[in-house]
Amino acid sequence: MPSRVLIVDDHPSFRASARLLLESEGYAVVGEAPDGHSALRLAGELAPDIVLLDVHLPDLDGFAVAARLAAWHDPPDVVLTSSRDPSDFGPLVARSGARGFVAKGELSGPALAAVVR
Amino acid sequence: MIGLRRALIALAAAAAAAGAGAVALLLTSDAVPNRGLSAFCAVFISWSFVGVGLFAWWRRPHNRFGALMTAVGFAYLLGALRASSVPVLFILGYILGSLGLAVLAHMLLAYPTGRLQGGLDRIVVAGGYLVTTLGSVPIALFWNPDRDLRGTSCDGCPTNPFLVADRIEVARALEIADQAVAAVFAVGLVWLLLRRVREARGVQRGELAPVLWTGLVAGFVLTVLVAGLAVGAPVELVDAVDFITLIALATVPYAFLFGLLRSRLGRAGAVAELVARLGEAPRRSALRDALAEALDDATLQVVFWLPDPGAHVDSDGRPVAVPPDDGRAVTPVERDGRRVGAILHDPALLEESGLVRAAGAAAALALDNERLEAELRARVEELRASRTRLVEAGFDERRRVERDLHDGAQQRLVALSLTLGMARSAVAADPPRAGELLTGAQAQLDQALAELRELARGIHPAVLTDHGLKAALQALAGRAPLPVELTGTPDRRLPAAVESAAYFVVAEGLTNVAKYAHASHATVSVARENGRALVEVADDGVGGADPARGTGLRGLADRVAALDGRLAVRSDLGTGTVLRAEIPVP
Repeated sequence: MPSRVLIVDDHPSFRASARLLLESEGYAVVGEAPDGHSALRLAGELAPDIVLLDVHLPDLDGFAVAARLAAWHDPPDVVLTSSRDPSDFGPLVARSGARGFVAKGELSGPALAAVVR
Repeated sequence: MIGLRRALIALAAAAAAAGAGAVALLLTSDAVPNRGLSAFCAVFISWSFVGVGLFAWWRRPHNRFGALMTAVGFAYLLGALRASSVPVLFILGYILGSLGLAVLAHMLLAYPTGRLQGGLDRIVVAGGYLVTTLGSVPIALFWNPDRDLRGTSCDGCPTNPFLVADRIEVARALEIADQAVAAVFAVGLVWLLLRRVREARGVQRGELAPVLWTGLVAGFVLTVLVAGLAVGAPVELVDAVDFITLIALATVPYAFLFGLLRSRLGRAGAVAELVARLGEAPRRSALRDALAEALDDATLQVVFWLPDPGAHVDSDGRPVAVPPDDGRAVTPVERDGRRVGAILHDPALLEESGLVRAAGAAAALALDNERLEAELRARVEELRASRTRLVEAGFDERRRVERDLHDGAQQRLVALSLTLGMARSAVAADPPRAGELLTGAQAQLDQALAELRELARGIHPAVLTDHGLKAALQALAGRAPLPVELTGTPDRRLPAAVESAAYFVVAEGLTNVAKYAHASHATVSVARENGRALVEVADDGVGGADPARGTGLRGLADRVAALDGRLAVRSDLGTGTVLRAEIPVP
């Protein structure tokens, strides 16, 4: 059974590209969310295996969403993403409870799988 | 004014005639003891009140105080009718003999405005009038002048035409009751005057105190006199108090004159001192302090007129509302017919507006100097504010550029990267699909490039640096969504900062024309005149633009002000909008 993915990003163009890419590489994209609050809601409803989570969101930032998800019982694997370099965020990625980070430009099925493993 | 003058002269003549009549009556009467002294006292007190009252009336025609004081003088003469041998006049003199005292109470309580201030004032004054008019009427019905009514019997008095029944004991009882009621009102008068003395403050105190104090003494001895009569004090004592009352009465008009003179001399001296003090070493707020002291008004404030923004500012250059909303009065100060500022002061000083103006005139030179300093400080204050806004605008601009890069070109490039990744995966298995993906990638790259170009132009247009203002403005005009005519540009290059400011004035102007003006056409010109660059963007749109709207024009005004220039918007409804910047060219 393919891994079920929820994509969270405020840019529709990225959500569309990422869906296309991941679906072509064997993932099932079960939902898209444009901000932190709808991400939390959809994660509860859809119970995805993986949440691909943009760091910069219009309401909560990705780190806060990741921390809340990590506190759940049987949480999804959270993979943070951004068009910025991960070193821009210092220790925030490690502290957030996310499984790891994939740069937006380097997103691919294998890259995601390497983080989630 | 001439009408008033004639009326006052007529009143003076009437007072002279009435006084002469009273003297004639008193001197020829058999019923009056001490005829000479009585005549002198009556006419002296009456003429004092009338004379000073007419003077006050003339000086302050809109203040009823002068009229009241004049009325005291006339009413006081009514008592002399008691010396008349005509029965009706005699008994009227008896009934109305004390009316002058009621008018005096009215005058004292109405001092200095000429108006009674509260309900208690009105009660005491109305009571005084009642007691001194109707109060004696019942007595007159029972009093036969042949009989002794507490020192007011008279031998040789005419008969009482109002006599209903010759009942001296009834007349006496009524008289005691009348005196007792009069005493109550007299106590009320003293109490109200005491309160008035305590409340007088600041500017008023110097002028009011003499009248209030002499009025208080007169009221007090009057109270003693009436109370003494009511309780049947010995005639000798009553006579002595009566005499003191006369003296106290006579001093009231002169106390008024004294107060007027003292405050005027005091303030004239203060103005002279003000002139001397203004020559001393200048110090911030020295002018205000000197004026506040000269006019004895601690709330006084000096404000300066800045013709350029057309506003009043304080000595720190901060804007001040004139007239102020706290009820203080405004006296403008001019120098050589030119407005230099204003004095905000206690409205009580308006009674002496000539004095405030004199003080203002004395201070005009110093005020003008301080005005220049205030102007400088206002300018520094404005510079400080505009510098802060420029720095903040710089930060905002950088945040905006970061946001635009992140949300625009960067996202396009991310999508491009993902698309290229997919195309690479598809190239072997599904070449047509790979071709579609590459076509999409091309479009994403074109969009990213367009966004980067737009962004770079917003930061600084390269064409301006490389090819000058004319080329840059032509490019702007070409990109505008409506026809733009470029009517003139300087032949030679301007300094880079001036060119840049001029470019952004035109850019912002054309953006606003496109967004708001509903114009069919716009003209742009940049000219170099008299050491200044004049930049103008005009349209034929609807007008009515509000220069305070939005941050674009504000930021532009700061940018122009940073070069010591100024930005103006003229936008009348229906006549289009003209955005005009003047920038000095160093």
